[in-house]
Amino acid sequence: METRELFWSLTPNAIVLFYVIGYGAIAVFLYGIVRHLVKYYRGRSPGKIPSLGSCIQRLLTDLLTHRTLKKRDRYAGYAHMGIFFGFLIAAAGTATITLEYDIIYPLFRIRFWKGDFYLLFSLILDLGHLALTAGIVMMIWRRAAFKLPRLSYLRSYKGETELRPVAKLWKLEDWSFLVVLLLIELSGFLQEAVGLMVDKPEWAIWSPVGLVLAKAFSGLGMSEGTAASIRGANWWMHGVLALAFTAAIPWYKAKHIIAVIGSLAMRDDRPLSRLPREPEGKDESGVGCMSDFSWKDMLNFDACTKCGRCHEVCPATNAGYPLSPRDLILDLRTYNDKVRGRSEEGVDLIGDIIAPETLWSCRTCGACQEVCPVGIEHPTIIVQMRRHLVEQGEMEPMLQTALDAIANTGNSFGENARNRAAWTRELGFAVKDIRKERADLLWFVGDYASFDPRNQRVSRAFATLLKAAGKDFALLHEGERNAGNDVRRVGEEGLFETLVDGNLAAIACAQPFERIITTDPHSYNTIRNEYPEFGETPLIEHYTSVLADMLSSGQLKVSNPLNKRVTFHDPCHLGRLNGGYDAPREVLRAIGCEVVEMPRNRENSFCCGAGGGRIWMPDPPGKEKPSENRIHEAAALGDIDVFVTCCPKDLTMFEDARKTSGHERDFVVMDIAELVAEAVKLGTLTPENLPPIVERLTDAIASRIADVVSARLEEMLGRFAPPALTDASAVIPLPDRTHPQFDEDTVLQKQQMPAHPAPEPATLPPTKASTPSIEVPIASTNWDNPSPLQPAVFEAYAAPEKTGIRILVTVKNVAKLGDEIRFTADGRDVVSDYIQYELNEWDDSALEQALLLTEANGGGEVVAVCVGPEEAEQSLRKVLAKGADRAVRIWSDGLSNADPLVIARAIAGIAKAEDPDLIFCGTQSADNAHGSTSTALAAILGLPRAVVVESVRWDGRGALTVTRELEGGIKEILTMPTPAVLAIQTGTDLPRYATMKMIKQARNKPLEVVDGSSAIDGVGGYRVRRMYVPVRQRAAMLEGTAEQVAEKIAAIIHERRG
Amino acid sequence: MPGILVVAEQHNGQLCDVTAELIGAAVTVKSRIGGPLRVLVIGASVNPLSKGVALAGVDEIQTVQTASDHFDPLVYEQAVMAAASQDKPFLILIAHTANGTAFAAGVAARLGAGLASDVFGLDVEGELIATRSAYRNKVAMELDFPGKDIVVLTLRGATFAPAEQGGSAPVSPISLHLGAIKGASSHIEYQEPTSSGIDITKAEFILSVGRGIQNKDNVQRFEALAERIGAVLGCSRPIVDSGWLPKAHQVGQSGKLASNCQLYLAVGISGATQHLFGMKHVPVIIAVNTDLGAPIFDVATFGTTVDMFELADALQRHFN
Ligand SMILES: Cc1cc2nc3c(=O)[nH]c(=O)nc-3n(C[C@H](O)[C@H](O)[C@H](O)COP(=O)(O)OP(=O)(O)OC[C@H]3O[C@@H](n4cnc5c(N)ncnc54)[C@H](O)[C@@H]3O)c2cc1C
Repeated sequence: METRELFWSLTPNAIVLFYVIGYGAIAVFLYGIVRHLVKYYRGRSPGKIPSLGSCIQRLLTDLLTHRTLKKRDRYAGYAHMGIFFGFLIAAAGTATITLEYDIIYPLFRIRFWKGDFYLLFSLILDLGHLALTAGIVMMIWRRAAFKLPRLSYLRSYKGETELRPVAKLWKLEDWSFLVVLLLIELSGFLQEAVGLMVDKPEWAIWSPVGLVLAKAFSGLGMSEGTAASIRGANWWMHGVLALAFTAAIPWYKAKHIIAVIGSLAMRDDRPLSRLPREPEGKDESGVGCMSDFSWKDMLNFDACTKCGRCHEVCPATNAGYPLSPRDLILDLRTYNDKVRGRSEEGVDLIGDIIAPETLWSCRTCGACQEVCPVGIEHPTIIVQMRRHLVEQGEMEPMLQTALDAIANTGNSFGENARNRAAWTRELGFAVKDIRKERADLLWFVGDYASFDPRNQRVSRAFATLLKAAGKDFALLHEGERNAGNDVRRVGEEGLFETLVDGNLAAIACAQPFERIITTDPHSYNTIRNEYPEFGETPLIEHYTSVLADMLSSGQLKVSNPLNKRVTFHDPCHLGRLNGGYDAPREVLRAIGCEVVEMPRNRENSFCCGAGGGRIWMPDPPGKEKPSENRIHEAAALGDIDVFVTCCPKDLTMFEDARKTSGHERDFVVMDIAELVAEAVKLGTLTPENLPPIVERLTDAIASRIADVVSARLEEMLGRFAPPALTDASAVIPLPDRTHPQFDEDTVLQKQQMPAHPAPEPATLPPTKASTPSIEVPIASTNWDNPSPLQPAVFEAYAAPEKTGIRILVTVKNVAKLGDEIRFTADGRDVVSDYIQYELNEWDDSALEQALLLTEANGGGEVVAVCVGPEEAEQSLRKVLAKGADRAVRIWSDGLSNADPLVIARAIAGIAKAEDPDLIFCGTQSADNAHGSTSTALAAILGLPRAVVVESVRWDGRGALTVTRELEGGIKEILTMPTPAVLAIQTGTDLPRYATMKMIKQARNKPLEVVDGSSAIDGVGGYRVRRMYVPVRQRAAMLEGTAEQVAEKIAAIIHERRG
Repeated sequence: MPGILVVAEQHNGQLCDVTAELIGAAVTVKSRIGGPLRVLVIGASVNPLSKGVALAGVDEIQTVQTASDHFDPLVYEQAVMAAASQDKPFLILIAHTANGTAFAAGVAARLGAGLASDVFGLDVEGELIATRSAYRNKVAMELDFPGKDIVVLTLRGATFAPAEQGGSAPVSPISLHLGAIKGASSHIEYQEPTSSGIDITKAEFILSVGRGIQNKDNVQRFEALAERIGAVLGCSRPIVDSGWLPKAHQVGQSGKLASNCQLYLAVGISGATQHLFGMKHVPVIIAVNTDLGAPIFDVATFGTTVDMFELADALQRHFN
């Protein structure tokens, strides 16, 4: 009968033996699976789970089409298809035979494995096995002969020169997987062939491979007898190999066969473009140990086949940063195989297993997950771990500065929010404010396009294009904040949420508009994909599609086709993450450009290196930056006129890379809007815009002249006016310096312009410039009537009961001037519109010392006291977030210009009520650097004191041991009694970082506001006569590019040093 | 409103340079304020110290004998109060130093006097005018003291010309019972800063880096650059505070003075007073800072606003 001979002439004992081996194999297999399931069970829930239907649908599409595998590697795709479908058929064959033989026949006496069905199945199986064998052979050939760098496990980016033991094991499993599978296949075919030789069935033709082999064997002279003995021995070999293979599946790389099902099915439909929120009710943010990962993440680890595609496309790996997405996943998997979903005592996942530098190297460009055939979401895994680092405050100082700036000012430049729309001043028309007027389009500009000078030019070009096309648009002006896309990708989820809330609130309060447009792909991504999870978000469109519309609808007419050969760089956030590939290309063609694609284009675009917050982190020197790598790629196209970008960060990165990679002369880097402006001849201005422009220009020129003349006059007067008294050169003697002589063109002559030319008057917003500063009256004193200062009395203030040691820390929100300095009308202060504020760094150090001291003493209370207006609460909140227990803010308008004596008196009032054991002040405030408040405070309270204190030791009871720093870095160690006032110097312990989440949590800590009017009673120590910018720029400014300046400096060095 | 009292600053029995500068500043305004100009010397070894302050223009030297030469703010405050209440001077001048600032504001608070600190300009135009910096040294503020017949000022060091030699003022001790000052501290020891193979004070060419360097990894790059161009690597305080370079590299008031330096290349340094203290006298200073308003440009001979990293790379190439 046409059927498969299963236990061909085996003795009953042999059959029993076979069953024992078989059940053993199944048991080992199942045990492995259960171990994995337990491991997954220990992971957290992945939150949102897509619907089962969509899971299955996507899984099937992926598997049946093999689209993820064929992507950019057709060879491997087809080879794997052979293996996959062959394996599927083979497994189906084996499974159904087992089903029939061991279950259906014994129970129901039914056989279906016979007759025509058997013949057809035999044919399909034969072909399936053939495909499987072909796939394996292709894969073996690929591994052996292609020498693919991405298949190498050598971590040369970490300086490895030799494979680590675990990597050697990886190689072994890769090969054994293929070789064992091949042996199973070959032995199967052999078995079939010798069977046919012995049995000679009529239907042999239905097993074509076996038949061909059988014919070949006979042709080679194999006797039937030999065939029969091979049949006996090979049967065991084939069976045992197949069972061993099955048993081993959960235990090595083959587990991907199972894990991939979960991994692909559970894939996020918008991975990375919409990051997961933090699970509710967790104490700590992000992933700090294995059990913080979700079971979906763990499936991701197990699904990895080490194919190395991510390794190949990652911009960080390419530029030699210590990150390879593949290695990251493998390290996590190896470790998870050890701890199986649990966290391990004494081992830090981040630090011991995964280096923080690895996590910070990621640009969140999404290239890895895009190319991953098994649906691993590397960037999401990385960002979750970053969240943990951010919460611990472990990050680059520069990144911390950027986050601080965003938290304080709403933009990463640390600019005053009021200057957000300053770039519009040079436009020939006013731009609407959506907070006041309705418009069709709301333009969300983003930080770089608002504040970076190069990008401001692009913003102006696009604004002019909108205007020319008759579009009705408006901005949020200072209501706009950083959109938070990169903040979120850095891992600062708390700050991100604050930014979203701010922007959504601003949008909600806006006058009616139709939709949002943006010039920034990063803002575009988060507003499009992430904001809707936080509140109602209008539709948003990227400006490239707005441009495409304006051109195709004829609102903009191309009068000057550019005839340029250009190449276009797809921004990750527009292209890969949001599929915006076509609009920019349409625009470029419409304006007469020939678009030459770089080899890596569209979804395979290569990141500029700025994403994921990397723009706020320094690049280590001596490495090729991703942007430089990209510029070389463009240069290799040959004869390109323009490298076109449509993302402000791209423009910044590539402008820079073009210079540093030596392609300065090869092509220019331009934003697409600038090209369109050129093509529609926007140089010609519409007549209605002319008068204001002329006015603006003349105003600007006039004020420039006025500045120059007044500076000159001041200088001349300074030189010629006879000093009041000849023996008294009142102001600092300015050392007279003869500047070395240089060629006129080497060193530009000393500039006469003041460093801070006042901005063009016409463009100044109506500010408080006319309000005079508040003057604090000061009372007279003389020797007959000395008036020692007394603590202010705050009748209404009562301090809570003391329960342990109490340390008071004084906190000042210090000023930081921007580029523009303007003085109040009476000239006695600086207009506050141009000032940024931040926590005084010396107070930060004082707080750190106070916290360390309470921690060392097993507890106690740290109370922050600040004299300042409501804005100062940002610094108090920060201090509370870092660990202070309570805060007190003293204020009254009359305190605006308070001097150290007034401030000290006010703080003394609170100190009286609080009765602290210690008072820590900063040695000085960063802005006005009086260095007097602590001493005055101590004197008013009659307390001992030490200033410029580096470190403090105290057991909470007796005397303090204090280390002071004197001039020249000499240290003085002394002891002193308590209570005492100490002025703390920076340096000993780096202040801790307060994450936005900590700041949020600190919202519930008490902050009491005390009316400070009773502190103002004329005790001030001075009156400000005037403030002015000293005649600036005594230095001769060296102009030009870095290269040119370096040349001049080199010349000075050579001249001076020989 | 006559009379000026200068409080001499000493460290461990040695007069500090700033003392002569305080006297020098007092001398420049003495004729307009009116004398006498008294100098108060406080310490265990007042005799040798008194000789050191007998400079031109000094009218009287007062001494307060203490048990030790180690500084205690309460002792100084008490001594100044005693001397001042006796002579009722209009102006009390104290050094703006780690010691001076520990009692100057205390004296002012106890008297309700006028007070200004870190003063770098002093003038009398009918009234006393003191000039100091504000807003991180970017702006100057001019102060007066209406109604105050007592004004306490701390003066910035290395700013006023020291008084000339050649005075012969009489010395008069003030007896003061200091035994029972409550809250006084007890000195344990001084520690000299550790040296680490480099000597800023001897270097003729210094390349100094500031907070603009952004992170520790970049230090190496500038170390290499300094070596390449033949300079000693200096830095501002925050670099030492962050632990990126040893203290011996720090230039400034609490670091080292670039006393022998001929050429100073300051990159990413804003020019805070305490930094300028250590280097503003250098004949040729080149400042690299992206902020055109940075006060470092006030003392620099040459300046540039190009990015320090780009410049470093370019400079490195030039010296290859
Ligand atoms: C008692 C006491 C003693 C002190 N002693 C000293 C001392 O001895 N020495 C000392 O230095 N300080 C001392 N300080 C500290 C001093 O007040 C300042 O805080 C410090 O000097 C500031 O250092 P900085 O200029 O490096 O940093 P910042 O003031 O932060 O300036 C950094 C500068 O770098 C510029 N910058 C940033 N990025 C770039 C770039 N890419 N390219 C070019 N420029 C860039 C910025 O524009 C900025 O101006 C002392 C303070 C006190 C209270």
